[in-house]
This record gives sequence, C-alpha cells and structure tokens, in this order.
Amino acid sequence: MTPLLKKLATLIPTLIGVTLVAFFMIRLIPGDPIEIMVGERRLDPVAHAALMAKLGLDQPLVVQYFRYVGELLQGNLGTSIVTREPVLGEFLVLFPATIELAFAALLLAVVGGLALGVAAALKRGSWLDQAVMALATVGNSMPVFWWGLILIMFFSVGLEWTPVSGRVAIEYDIPFVTGFMLVDTLLSDEPGSWRSAVLHLALPATVLGTIPMAVVARMTRSSMLEVLREDYMRTARAKGLPPGRIVVVHGLRNALIPVLTVLGLQVGGLLGGAVLTETIFSWPGIGKWLIEAIARRDYPVVQAGILVSALTFIVVNLVVDLLYGVVNPRLRGGGH
Amino acid sequence: MSAEATPQPQPSPARREGGPDVPSPLGEFARAFAANRGALVAAFVFAAIVVAAVFAPWIAPHDPVQQYREHLLTPPLWQAGGLAQFPFGTDELGRCLLSRLLYGARVSLLIGLASVLLALLPGVALGLVAAFFERYASPVIMRAMDILLALPGLLLAICVVTILGPGLVNTVIAIAVGALPGYVRLTRGSALAELQRDYVVASRVAGAGTLRLMFDTVLPNCMAPLIVAATLSFSSAILETAALGFLGLGVQPPLPEWGSMLSAARDYIERAPWVVTIPGLTILVTVLTINLMGDGLRDALDPKLRQAA
Repeated sequence: MTPLLKKLATLIPTLIGVTLVAFFMIRLIPGDPIEIMVGERRLDPVAHAALMAKLGLDQPLVVQYFRYVGELLQGNLGTSIVTREPVLGEFLVLFPATIELAFAALLLAVVGGLALGVAAALKRGSWLDQAVMALATVGNSMPVFWWGLILIMFFSVGLEWTPVSGRVAIEYDIPFVTGFMLVDTLLSDEPGSWRSAVLHLALPATVLGTIPMAVVARMTRSSMLEVLREDYMRTARAKGLPPGRIVVVHGLRNALIPVLTVLGLQVGGLLGGAVLTETIFSWPGIGKWLIEAIARRDYPVVQAGILVSALTFIVVNLVVDLLYGVVNPRLRGGGH
Repeated sequence: MSAEATPQPQPSPARREGGPDVPSPLGEFARAFAANRGALVAAFVFAAIVVAAVFAPWIAPHDPVQQYREHLLTPPLWQAGGLAQFPFGTDELGRCLLSRLLYGARVSLLIGLASVLLALLPGVALGLVAAFFERYASPVIMRAMDILLALPGLLLAICVVTILGPGLVNTVIAIAVGALPGYVRLTRGSALAELQRDYVVASRVAGAGTLRLMFDTVLPNCMAPLIVAATLSFSSAILETAALGFLGLGVQPPLPEWGSMLSAARDYIERAPWVVTIPGLTILVTVLTINLMGDGLRDALDPKLRQAA
C-alpha cells in the first residue's frame, strides 16, 4: 500500500498546479473581472464595487486563491453566466456522456490495437503485417474532425445505417439513472432503446478510437519485434513452452511497457479528440459544453471545464502509472 | 582487423573517418533511408508540398480571398460542370479552393515547424537533467511536467486561446507547451533505461564526466524514439492547428487555413462534397508524408532495427 500512498502524495503538487492554472486562467483574460466572472456589463461604480467586495475580488490574490480552493473542496465549481445555474449540476449530467464515449473508444483502441500489433509482429513482412502497418500509418495521420465528417457522409447520409447526432433516438424517454446511456436504456422499459444507444455510440467511438488504435497497433508491433529478439524468448522456445504462452506471458507482457507509455499519452489526445468528436456528433458531453461556453464567453464554465478535464486526466495517468508497476515488476516498490 | 592491430590504443584518424572499408555514417544513413520506399516517396511528396507552400504566391491561380460571386460552389475540374480556371472548384463564397489550399500550406507548415523546435530543444535538455539528477532535479521537473500534462494538448491550446485570444503566434505557443512534457518524459524514460546498461557503467568507470555521459554516451542511444516523437509531434501540430481552426479558435479569417476551411464546408457535405473531401485529403496527405518520413528516419538511424531488417 505504501507505493500507492507515495504516488498519491506526488499528486498533491500537481493538483495545486492545476488549480493555480484554472485560477489564473480566468484572471488573465483581459477585461473587467465582473464582466468576465458574473457577466454584468456597465454597472454603476457603486454596484460594481459592492459586487467586487461581495465576491472577494478586491482581496489579495493569495486570499482569492485560498477562497477558490475552499469553494472547490465544497464542490462549488462556480455559477454559469448564461444559465445562472451552478456549474457542478450541469457537469454531473454531461460528464457520464464523455466517459461513456471515451471508454468505448479506448476499449476499441486497446483490443483492436493489441490484436493487430501482435499479429503483425508475429507475421513480420507478410501481407497482414503490411496491411496493418499501412492502416496504422493512415489512421495515425487522420484528422479526427474530417474522419467524422467522412463517416457521417458514408454511413449516415449514404447508407443511413447510423444516426448523425445525439445519444439515443428522441422517441425513447430514458430516465437519468447512471448517466451512461448503455446502462440507462437497459434499466428503462423501452424496448429497442439499447440498440439505438449502441448505434448512436458506434460512429463517435470509432472516430475517437481510430488514432489511439493506430498508435497502439504500431507500438505493440515494434515493441513486440524487439522483445521477440530477446534471449529469454529463445530460452522459452527451447524449453518447449506452448507458443501461445510464449507470446502472451514472455512476449506481450514485456512488450506492454512502452505500449502503456504511449497509451497514457494517448489519453490526453482522447480528451482533446472528445472535444472535436462531441462537436461533430452533437454528443452532449463536457467537450461540446466547453466549446459552446467559449463561444458564449461563459468563462466560469470554461474554467470549470478545463479543471475537470485536467482532474480526469490526472486520475487516468495515476491508473496508468499503477498498471506500469503491474506489467514491470522491476519498477515496483518505487525504484532501487 | 587483427592483422592491422597496432600496440597503440588509438586507430589512425584516416582509418577512423572512413577508409575504403568503412562506409561514412551519412552515406550509410542515406542508403538505409532510400531503402525504405515509402519514406523516399514521402520525402519527394513532402518536398513538393514545401515548394508549393513557399512559392504559393506565384503558383496559385487566384487570390485566396478573392470571391467570384458568379462561380459559387463550382465542382472540381474532373467533375461535370468543372471549370479550367478553378481546378479544385470553389467554396461557398466562390473562392478558388486550390489557391486557398496552397496558401493554407504556408500556415500549417510554419506553425508545425516552429512549435516542434520550441518543444524539442528544452524537452530533451530537461529530460536528460531529470534522468541524471534523480534525487533533486527529477521531482521538480517531472511535477512541473505533470502540471502541463494535466492539460492535454488541445485543451491546453484552448486554454491559451481563451486567455490570449486566437491567432498564429498563440497557436504556436499553445501547441509547443503541450508537446513539451512528452519529450521530457520520453527522454527521461529512455535515458533511465540506458543508464542501467553496462556500457554506461563502463563509460562512467572510464572517467567520463556527467555532460559527456549525458550528450555523448546516453543521448545518441535515445535518439530513435525522440526522432519518432518529433515526427509525430510535427504532424500532430499540423493536426492540432487544423483542429483549432475547425473549432473556430485558431488562425482567423481571412487568412486561409485548412481546418477552418473544413469547418465552413460542413454545411455543404451533401450538396458539394468536394469542399469537405479535398481540404481533408490535403491535411491527411501532408500528415501522412511527414509520418512516413519519420518511419524512414527511424529505420535509417536505429542500427538495431536496421540489422534485423
């Protein structure tokens, strides 16, 4: 348990840094702070000063920062300028949509990428290897937003297989239970709604999963090729171990280390990609929320959106770090 | 070798710099790079893109912002209704698509190159320092990188754009800052792995100083992943520039930019597919050629992979 606690302790400076970034971000925007944070324009000087005092904006920055963190710890993410609603409430509704999309994309990327990468490495130089590498190279170069438009053009407009936008067909009335549409449709008594939710998820998840899948496939292949040349692989073969066991236990487990590293870095791209994917498919998640907030100059929402994206990313990176220890026992126990 | 071995530990300079038997490093690199057909073709395509970008004002048939109101959404030359004066057709405002793509190449390549350099050089230096001074420098550097990493690429760019406002220089800064942690982590990771190897221990025992160990002993063996990463980040900088443009947060009109061209074209996806397909293909081909060149560079620079090929 100690390594985990140690890891958690190293997160404290990161968390402080992230709150500092979010705190200063909104204060670095040029213009009148009341206009930026509350949305009130052209107040008379007395009301302006009163509001400044009420919000504590006349206090030193240090005091303001600790106030901000104090509010955050109580779950107060601020108030939207546009809707006048607490940001946290909006966030709790939208966040599961993004998580669902990202999970589906990641699952697709890891399963597809590992399978393609291992197959390509084992059959090095074959047509399969060349096809996987060609697809991975093209996939890795794919502009996400354009790929989304092309898939819509082909599957939604052309073949009419998949819907263009949203999470489930509007004729279904799905009550909000978990926020995950694939779960909520199962809990509801609307027949056919689960299928609708899957169809709605299919294109966005494919679009978002394409680049990570290409990167995972590429990295798995090259890492696997390097591992296949190691002496312990020859030893394993010489011992007469079954080929499947050699590939998975001796090969893949050692090859996974660099794959995990790139996967950890891909998660950031996944969050950025979610912004684009949600915008294209009108997927009601935090990415679309963030972009719309910027367009409306709803800065408290932008600040909260940046903060929660960063927090999500920190948690995911922690998980990746812990997995690192699982696949590479040499790194367990925090060093030498 | 053994017949020529002399009691002196140092070989003669001529022998070392490439006698008749020893191929020069540059020649060997060129041969290995050329052996990768994809990389060679990509290098030529990329050179063509660079030439097109540099000479855009002389190549482009029209002014990229000139609107030909009588030729709105003209199809490309190879489709029915295409006009010779607009080879790739026109957009919804009657602007020449080819001219806009040519000028757009300048924007994309400039932002890509500038942001890679701005991230790579400090990234490698910080990564090496973090690997060599694990006790004191590493925690500070890596925590600082964690803060940057906590705001993934596009979101960091959005953050910067929210503060500074959109624009070309701000796009470069945002993308470079987003790419920096990747280089630092990668350099530190590879350097730490190399530090465990016997040759580094041997070099240290032989009395090599820290700077020599860093840049002469360890860094060359970390180069292959760094080159792959630099290539990836050059192409992803181009992608991110286009993504910001697509979201309306990047380079602003009237400057022609590939991503913002796509954003405007979304509404015409059924009526005029070429305004979506052609700019998108341009981005894809550009990014693809850079990635393929990166593959070629890696194969040519990494002797381990080369021997196995």
